[in-house]
Amino acid sequence: MLSRVAENLFWLGRYLERAENIARMARVEHEVSLESGQEIWHSLVSTTASNQLFWDTLADSPDLTHSEFLIYSMQNPASLRATLVRARELARGLREHISREVWEEINALYLYLALRKEYIASDIQQFCTETQRRTQTILGLYDNTVLRDEGREWFRCGMYLERADMTSRIIDAKYHILLPRGDDVGGPFDRFQWMAVLRSASAREAYWRMGNSEVDGIVVADLLIFSQEFPRSLAFCVQALQRHFQQATGETPKRRRAGAERGITLLHLDIGARDMEQLVDDGLHEFIDDFQQRLIEIDRSITDDIFRAEPNAEQSQQLATAEQG
Amino acid sequence: MTNHLLDGYADDGTACDEMFDPAGEFRPEYRELGELLQRWTADDHLEREERADLALLSAGITFNVYSEEEGTERIFPFSLIPRIVGAQEWSEIESGLKQRLQALNMFLIDVYGTQRIIKEQVIPEEIVLSSPGYQPKMAGFRPPLDIYAHIAGCDLVRDREQGMVVLEDNLRTPSGVSYVLENRAVMLRVVPDLFPRWGVRAIADYPSQLMSMLLSVRPEVSSDPPRAVLLTPGLYNSAYFEHSFLSNQMGIPLVEGSDLTVGDDDFVYLRSTTGLERVDVIYRRIDDDFLDPEFYRPDSLLGVPGLMRAYHKGHVSLVNAPGAGVADDKVVYRWVPDIIRFYLDEEPILANVETFSALIPSELDHIRAHARELVIKPANASGGYGVLIGAQASAAELEDTLAQVEAEPRNWIAQPLLEFSSIPTFDGDLLKPRRSDLRPFILSGRETWVIPGGLTRVALREGSYIVNSSQGGGSKDTWVLNEGPD
Repeated sequence: MLSRVAENLFWLGRYLERAENIARMARVEHEVSLESGQEIWHSLVSTTASNQLFWDTLADSPDLTHSEFLIYSMQNPASLRATLVRARELARGLREHISREVWEEINALYLYLALRKEYIASDIQQFCTETQRRTQTILGLYDNTVLRDEGREWFRCGMYLERADMTSRIIDAKYHILLPRGDDVGGPFDRFQWMAVLRSASAREAYWRMGNSEVDGIVVADLLIFSQEFPRSLAFCVQALQRHFQQATGETPKRRRAGAERGITLLHLDIGARDMEQLVDDGLHEFIDDFQQRLIEIDRSITDDIFRAEPNAEQSQQLATAEQG
Repeated sequence: MTNHLLDGYADDGTACDEMFDPAGEFRPEYRELGELLQRWTADDHLEREERADLALLSAGITFNVYSEEEGTERIFPFSLIPRIVGAQEWSEIESGLKQRLQALNMFLIDVYGTQRIIKEQVIPEEIVLSSPGYQPKMAGFRPPLDIYAHIAGCDLVRDREQGMVVLEDNLRTPSGVSYVLENRAVMLRVVPDLFPRWGVRAIADYPSQLMSMLLSVRPEVSSDPPRAVLLTPGLYNSAYFEHSFLSNQMGIPLVEGSDLTVGDDDFVYLRSTTGLERVDVIYRRIDDDFLDPEFYRPDSLLGVPGLMRAYHKGHVSLVNAPGAGVADDKVVYRWVPDIIRFYLDEEPILANVETFSALIPSELDHIRAHARELVIKPANASGGYGVLIGAQASAAELEDTLAQVEAEPRNWIAQPLLEFSSIPTFDGDLLKPRRSDLRPFILSGRETWVIPGGLTRVALREGSYIVNSSQGGGSKDTWVLNEGPD
């Protein structure tokens, strides 16, 4: 498969997954803000983008709110809108690799965005709900209408890598609650926060179905990190990434895939060797930090060694001889 | 009383119309459709049109406009009332196009070979060698099957006096065929009730015809199975949708210049995730000048360094061949009837429009004397840019253009203003006559194949002669009728 196409499918998977996550987190954040009367958007900005960029942008447009920056602003490359615009641009260049159904749904989402040029604060809920629903539709259509070839495996690699990253960010945003105990830990506010975490990760129903009778931060983190059954947990995502990477690189020469393969395998083994109790003792934040670093390295190996590897002359010579003979 | 779509249509006269004859009666091929439309109201039409536009927009069937900000996309305005061509007339057009392409390909082999046509003084040497489409570096090169112009689009109009005539040939990278296929798909969805009882000629096999043509001109040293790719300038090209559409329909990779590389062995390879894969045929949708920065424009970022070296060694085929543009030059066009007679010893089946070349003194005099009756065109622009219609121009515009003509006579031609035919086209609340042309596509490989129909373009403004999409034209489906039972 063409390297450029593989790379773009990988990123299409990443962007769509990212958009779905931002829309979901923003929706939850919005509801929590309304209910609690506390403006907590700023934590979401630091979860998904850089605070520095927010303050820089604010200097030029003083009316900018955290939620507008996160959802609508095109100055924020990680905003929901900017992410979807880029996903659609990629999809436009990948039309011969995705089904017509997937393309039309992505394009319809883009047209939906184009109709809402102005940010309307009261509209956030509706906008995020609609965007999330449409993004999930796209992911579902992709799974059910696109040929299961190498390109689809790269799409899935991008999707799971992004999902692992996003779930780790959601956990990280609340890690301080697991730090040595303050007064309200275990109290109503704590439970309230962990409920929000579960909803941000689409994990509320999963949590109750696993037989839990109360909200406990340790159990929540355990689910989001170690569960083999919950499709957004770190362990699940890494395992899926490993499987799809193997399928995508079945015919890739060893020296091109070795770096990423090692990174993914070690990450998978490492998660399997740990448990929640140990994580709390060692420091959850340090673990998440290391996890995110390793995702970055895996991404870099995939990009440099597979998507952008410069083929050498020797290889082209070999190939020509093989075919002429 | 409810107004119907065709009310008053014939009142202004139907001197040259596709649906009506000069007496105001339906032409036979339009009778069935016309009688249906007489019962349609504006609302019937609007409702269908809305559905068609929505289908095109959501499918992203759009083109980019160069003069607007980068990345601006528009849908190509689509008109529901089709052009209909009878079976008999079509078979004549088809033979005429095959004849024309056969002669033009012989002309190209000759021009880059022994130049017999110049030696025998059928066409002036200066006209051929000064054409911007002429590529001196192609001299002596013979592509597989002796074909330079594999894919051609000839623009036809129906003139009041002469009948169907060829207005121009497009032999480099003619575009529009994706609209032909998509327009048909939309028509089948939106107005299934308008299709005639005996049906229309299907066009859906264009991609497979194109694919077998591409493989038929592969180099002798091809890999097994041979691999074809479509080379695009990229996402921001105005015809990108078409590049993507065709590669998808043929199941071949859509590549950009940077996806290809030429090895030390002078073969062309595709950069893939598993290594390099050899490429045998390149359907390129980028201009000659951008193909290879080592050979043509050194500043080209679109091309593939070394590509022409591989091509000249016969390691890869390019479709269309570089240099084909000399045969679609608007000045060379004036000599196409002579070209047909010279190589085939036959009379042209399809006529040319009478054309004056400013390079020939007697013809320049004619242009000066009759400027008000002529259309004056730059020889090397496309998309309708720079065209001056004498009858509609101001005195200053006319003077300005004539000064340019005298300064660079090689670059200008003039033709009489054709009263070409109109087709009913919805405008506000009724159908109105709007001028249109027809671009059939001709594929030349081991065999020559003409798509039954082609792209019908229509001027959307009253009185306009310009049908180009970049200047506000629209398109229609084209129906070539199957033979009925009688």
